[in-house]
Amino acid sequence: MQLDARIPAGPLTDKWDNHRAAVRIISPANKRKYEILVVGTGLAGAAAAATLAELGYNVKVFCLQDSPRRAHSVAAQGGINAAKNYRNDGDSIFRLFYDTIKGGDFRAREANVYRLAQVANNIIDQCVAQGVPFAREYGGTLANRSFGGAQVSRTFYARGQTGQQLLLGAYSAMMRQVAAGRITIYPRREMMDLVVIDGQARGLVCRNLVTGEFERYGGQAVVLASGGYGNVYYLSTNAVSSNVTAAWRAYKHGAGFANPCYVQIHPTCIPVHGDYQCKLTLMSESLRNDGRIWVPGQAGDRRQPAAIPEEERDYYLERKYPGFGNLVPRDVASRNTKEVCDQGRGVGKSGRAVYLDLRDAIERDGLEVMLQKYGNLFHMYEKITARDPGREPMMIYPAVHYAMGGLWVDYNLMSTIPGLFVLGEANFSDHGANRLGASAMMQGLADGYFILPATIGDYLAGTGHEPPDTGGKAYDLAVRRSEQRIAGLLKNTAGKKPGLQTATHYHRRLGSLLWNECGIARNRKGLQRALDAIPELREEFRHNVVVPGSGRELNQALEKAGRVADFMEFAEIMVRDALAREESCGCHLREESQTATHEARRDDEHFSHVAVWEYTGEGRAVMHKEPLSFEYVTPVQRSYT
Amino acid sequence: MTAPTITITIKIWRQAGPDVQGSFEEHTLRDLDVDMSLPEMLEVLNEQLTRQGKIPVAFDHDCLEGICGMCGAVVDGVAQGPEEKTTLCQLYLRHFHDNQTITIEPFRARAFPIIKDLVIDRSAFDRIIQAGGFVSVNTGAAPDGNVLPVARHLAEQAMDAAACSGCGACVAACPNAAAMLFVGAKISQLALLPQGRPERERRALSMVRAMDREGFGSCGNERECEAVCPKGISIRNIARLNREFLRASLAADETV
Amino acid sequence: MSWFTQTVTSSLGKKYIMALTGLLLGGFLLVHAAGNATILLGRTDFLSYARRLHSLGLPVTIAEITLLLLFCIHAVTGLVLFYRNHQARPSPYAVSRRAGGRTWGSATMAWTGIAILCFIVLHLTNFYFADHRRSLADIVGGILDNPLYSALYCAGLLALTLHISHGFWSMFQSLGLNHPKYDGLIGTCRWILCGSIVGVFLTIVILLLIKRNYLA
Repeated sequence: MQLDARIPAGPLTDKWDNHRAAVRIISPANKRKYEILVVGTGLAGAAAAATLAELGYNVKVFCLQDSPRRAHSVAAQGGINAAKNYRNDGDSIFRLFYDTIKGGDFRAREANVYRLAQVANNIIDQCVAQGVPFAREYGGTLANRSFGGAQVSRTFYARGQTGQQLLLGAYSAMMRQVAAGRITIYPRREMMDLVVIDGQARGLVCRNLVTGEFERYGGQAVVLASGGYGNVYYLSTNAVSSNVTAAWRAYKHGAGFANPCYVQIHPTCIPVHGDYQCKLTLMSESLRNDGRIWVPGQAGDRRQPAAIPEEERDYYLERKYPGFGNLVPRDVASRNTKEVCDQGRGVGKSGRAVYLDLRDAIERDGLEVMLQKYGNLFHMYEKITARDPGREPMMIYPAVHYAMGGLWVDYNLMSTIPGLFVLGEANFSDHGANRLGASAMMQGLADGYFILPATIGDYLAGTGHEPPDTGGKAYDLAVRRSEQRIAGLLKNTAGKKPGLQTATHYHRRLGSLLWNECGIARNRKGLQRALDAIPELREEFRHNVVVPGSGRELNQALEKAGRVADFMEFAEIMVRDALAREESCGCHLREESQTATHEARRDDEHFSHVAVWEYTGEGRAVMHKEPLSFEYVTPVQRSYT
Repeated sequence: MTAPTITITIKIWRQAGPDVQGSFEEHTLRDLDVDMSLPEMLEVLNEQLTRQGKIPVAFDHDCLEGICGMCGAVVDGVAQGPEEKTTLCQLYLRHFHDNQTITIEPFRARAFPIIKDLVIDRSAFDRIIQAGGFVSVNTGAAPDGNVLPVARHLAEQAMDAAACSGCGACVAACPNAAAMLFVGAKISQLALLPQGRPERERRALSMVRAMDREGFGSCGNERECEAVCPKGISIRNIARLNREFLRASLAADETV
Repeated sequence: MSWFTQTVTSSLGKKYIMALTGLLLGGFLLVHAAGNATILLGRTDFLSYARRLHSLGLPVTIAEITLLLLFCIHAVTGLVLFYRNHQARPSPYAVSRRAGGRTWGSATMAWTGIAILCFIVLHLTNFYFADHRRSLADIVGGILDNPLYSALYCAGLLALTLHISHGFWSMFQSLGLNHPKYDGLIGTCRWILCGSIVGVFLTIVILLLIKRNYLA
């Protein structure tokens, strides 16, 4: 596998401009001869589809949901960063770049991250022009807030629904192109396989989720914007349908999968209440500004929180990190929370929760002030748990939130399969080992609105515009393979043999295995255990999963089982990647790599690289490395003690 | 910890496909955790059905945090259930009492044909947006975000309207199956913001026409939509739509 | 299609028609109630009012024709909407419950409309197409001392009350005349209007039922 990142030459600040000036482009008259397939309609997919269509390409768009407006970007709450410096607080493109690359613990490419910071300003302008109702100051200018510990106020927001509003902006731009005849939307479709002809991605096979039929689509390029794989943990903040399937199909055709072990775990989610729950709801971290996190000092203390006297409470973050207290970074907070719960000191029904207590802040500033700051969060919490955070402490627990890893892409966002482009959370490109708050939407929209439309022409100029033969061998094979997969999932009938279980059952087991062994803190032994257990679980799943109904109809259980099947395979390279990365970095503590004070120790000497996995046959993979070098910033170690 | 579990009997609509007759099916589920949400309860039911070798209930749900607009059903006669400003996925069993019978049926409207069980086709909404629910600005053509100031209260009102998740509860709840709240919300958002002004007349005319083509009913000003809307969108937005369309019909220079 | 036909055939256009014709019909009712209030002053005043009104000649005929037209447009458009709305939901819900928006007035709009239509046929038969060789006061007195008619007229007024209770507010909403500052005023006006129209008519019906020779 050749890993040529194709970073343009020249100074960091000029790379993107130079590149745009140098790449080949397609003339306006010829663009209409090209057909581009876009999988996924979140921020990245919708933005890309709309922009490509505006440029004159023909675009076909596929999504799982009944409408492209429902992609999971819709649930992003906080905001989107841009270095507009509207506050005159010293922000600059370089500062945004530096914060992002430092936030990623120096495991991302300098050139990519700098470009991201550069186009971020254009994103805000574009979204404003689309009618996104961003928060405003009384004078009518755009409002900003500081987010995720940033020292400047650079986050633009639309209440707590920024993701929804940005997505609806991109969706409306896409709908405009549907009306113009440049885009065709295919909702309720699941990508079953990628079609690669002569080494180039030329199309895909979809399952029509309503009729169960396989459909063949062809074009000159395929764009994957299919989101992250966080649902491999079963419990996550992702939507139910978020999956790795599309990316996994691409991987099996030879696309490199980069850094699959990088997963962000968010410390302040509403805890799980039962086995049937697969979704955890995130609450803004801003609560940690005023809330104090604690557990009972003694394991097994089941008293109501109010009955536990002050001296029997353990404010573990304040105790261990007196300098930062409750405001330690996400990974540190999450890790310590899991640790105290593993010690049996967790609270709530499940014991998998800790208190986030606003009592002192309410006493200090009054309930009124707290309601002004966090009213919507209080409301959300009360709705879900039926408890009033104004009267008793909230309960929180960490949850899987975002996948930094993804398909490997070069500077043009092209994967190792020519013609296959990967955008947004589905790629690995910009967040390194940890994602800074309010930069997921920035990356998705940067990829979709500005980067891909500028770089795809360079590839297309080298291909013809002949449509592929969708009746050809490659398509037949893809359909046959997909049919076999479906048949494999449907082979059991309930009650016909003992031990049959639903796909959810196996998903839950896989999730709990990964959460324990490949979660916030990892060690070699645990990862080895997981590596042994996953193939067994996968085999059991293959033999004993029971899926009701047939493949020729709307069958949600079948959809779910197909996704779990891919998670079962994906989990293995995730764990292998975690095992190979013998350093603590970003979101993860590798227990063998700690400082004397039990802090994460990054190992730049041995691990300053992107780990890229190549499929070499069923259950086999080899790792390649793309070295990371830093010319403009100097990697520094974090310290929070 | 109080009242841990309850028993619920569900009368649920089963319909194998778009063109076949549907009917209600009754199931009793015991020992349900009161903190369970409605979709989780349906998962319990589906697991039970699967083990019995029966076909599970098809129902759409995705984000499970009330924002994607995917889930939706009529619970005991109220679209998105009896709780105010709540989607189905945020309806918890604690809102019901022990041994209660709950009737769950799909959103019903000619413009929202049933695909299977509770799953409906809401693509009519997409087609309405295609008719004009956008600002025509190509990527790259945007001026600086602060060029056009927007009064804060107008931005807030636009946001109130823009919060619509397109779930379709308004149509389901409307005695006339009208889509006015959905259309009104989008028209309002873009009419309130200066960015939407250049196209406001075209937009009003063509979106209303698209809405009529889809076979929605006509607004009777009964406010049921507002009462069930999970995002609390006000019927003031319908008044604004009425105003915008009237203005566009009587005074627009261009024809659409 | 011209812009006009496009407008009036749209779903919103029909609502504008309902609102505007409803407004004018409401205006007529107010005038009608004011005129009929002369009944309360006694036979002489009532007859003198009637005589003066009819002595106007052509304008009255024009007003009558306009009124008939308005009424027909309101009724026909209303029925078309009723039919279309019914079509918009071909299969009804098994359980149907109000979520909090619907009122008795709004829920019965079509039915009270049909009831008013029937009532008006009766009303016109009773008075407009009556044998006008008798004095108007005798005709009125002769009809409304019959308890059966009194009951029917009361029923008609009940339908009217329900119809206006929703229709008045609805008219403003349909025309987009809606503002937080004036919503309270609109709500108050609805009851003043409704109360004065129905109040006058109801008083007449009850008065003539109790005091049978009031107009003699």
